[in-house]
Amino acid sequence: MNSLSLIKQLIALVIVGGAAFLIGYGVNITYFYDRTPEQPIEFSHKIHAGDNKIPCKYCHLYVERSRVAGVPNVQRCMGCHKIIKTDSPLIQKLTSYWDKKEPIPWVKVHNLPDYVHFTHKRHIKAGLDCSLCHGDVASMSRITRVASLKMGWCLSCHEKREVKNGKDCWTCHK
Amino acid sequence: MSVLNSIGEKLKSYRVPGYYTKFDHRWGMVIDLDRCNGCEACVTACYAENNLPVVGEKDCANSRAFSWLRVERYVEGEYPDVKVGFIPIMCHNCAKAPCETGCPVYATYHNQDGLNVQVYNRCVGTFTCATYCPYDVRRFNWRTYRPDKPLDEQLNPDVTVREMGVMEKCTFCIQRIRAGKDNAKDERRGVKDGEITPACAQSCPTGAITFGDLNDPQSMVSKLALSPRRYRLLEELNTDPSVIYLKRVAKDGSTGTGE
Repeated sequence: MNSLSLIKQLIALVIVGGAAFLIGYGVNITYFYDRTPEQPIEFSHKIHAGDNKIPCKYCHLYVERSRVAGVPNVQRCMGCHKIIKTDSPLIQKLTSYWDKKEPIPWVKVHNLPDYVHFTHKRHIKAGLDCSLCHGDVASMSRITRVASLKMGWCLSCHEKREVKNGKDCWTCHK
Repeated sequence: MSVLNSIGEKLKSYRVPGYYTKFDHRWGMVIDLDRCNGCEACVTACYAENNLPVVGEKDCANSRAFSWLRVERYVEGEYPDVKVGFIPIMCHNCAKAPCETGCPVYATYHNQDGLNVQVYNRCVGTFTCATYCPYDVRRFNWRTYRPDKPLDEQLNPDVTVREMGVMEKCTFCIQRIRAGKDNAKDERRGVKDGEITPACAQSCPTGAITFGDLNDPQSMVSKLALSPRRYRLLEELNTDPSVIYLKRVAKDGSTGTGE
């Protein structure tokens, strides 16, 4: 009798614990997961955009004419780093990619779902600042996603700025 | 209670046909049946452009073929003296669309461009719109179709790959309309006539399909729509479709198709 109730208690504990784990896991994945993923090279925006004041568009050069801002190719990195700070181990790692003729497998931080149509071009031409969505990148040593990138977040800005057809589904969905 | 009532009132106002009283555009299509020879290049182009799955023999036999655009055949007369007519049918983007009145989740609605659009993320698959559609152009995803390995590289990135349980239909290639408007906005002008071409119109070898803005009286479609050969499919249902057909007229004066 005693052992049976113990088993029952154990089963209840497993069910409740499992449910709690699943909920916690889901919340974690949705809200906190991979906002600051580890990158193959510890590239610091703080040094580049902050201390040295390189403008965003020097490296993310498609932002004014394309849907994507564009992650710079290795050649653009090497344009400077053939000369600058070649003794640093991080730059030597970069040079090894350059020598192997391989792209750097950067981890995507701002990832939109397949059904969302988003153009950087349109937003930049509307006069928005990069930091409005990407946060104060110049002070981040490892890039962090500050915006939730959820639909409500998009819509709140569209509503605030009274974007023409900004609340139409097919403006942003595809 | 008053809050509920006001919400109810608001929802009712969405149900009235022509909720938007003023459209930015009214995209429309003129199809000259005299030029259509039934080659189905438009159908193939539509499959390629809009990531339509090829469902296979078994599903096709269950009438689950996935063409947003189909070409119907009409054969008149006995063997030696046969007249064959073709009529391409896609979503007519009706101004007073019956499908919009039925959807319980407002997944299909009229947008500012005068297009009858389907929101895939909202759709719950009740099939109501397909039942209400008099043209039988809505297609339902009975399964999640995925192309085999090398073929998934050819999917159009501007169009979502839909999943099981979602209704879909011809969008008048809304991704191209969006791109056209985007380019026009960059140059700070309105959309020019003939700038936007859907995949079917682009691929038609005889140029039977013309696409444009019916609101603009100077556009090619508006001019073609004044033709005495003009008719619209099932116009008596008062759906006010945006697709206008030009009747096929044979030598002896018989029409030979459709009507």
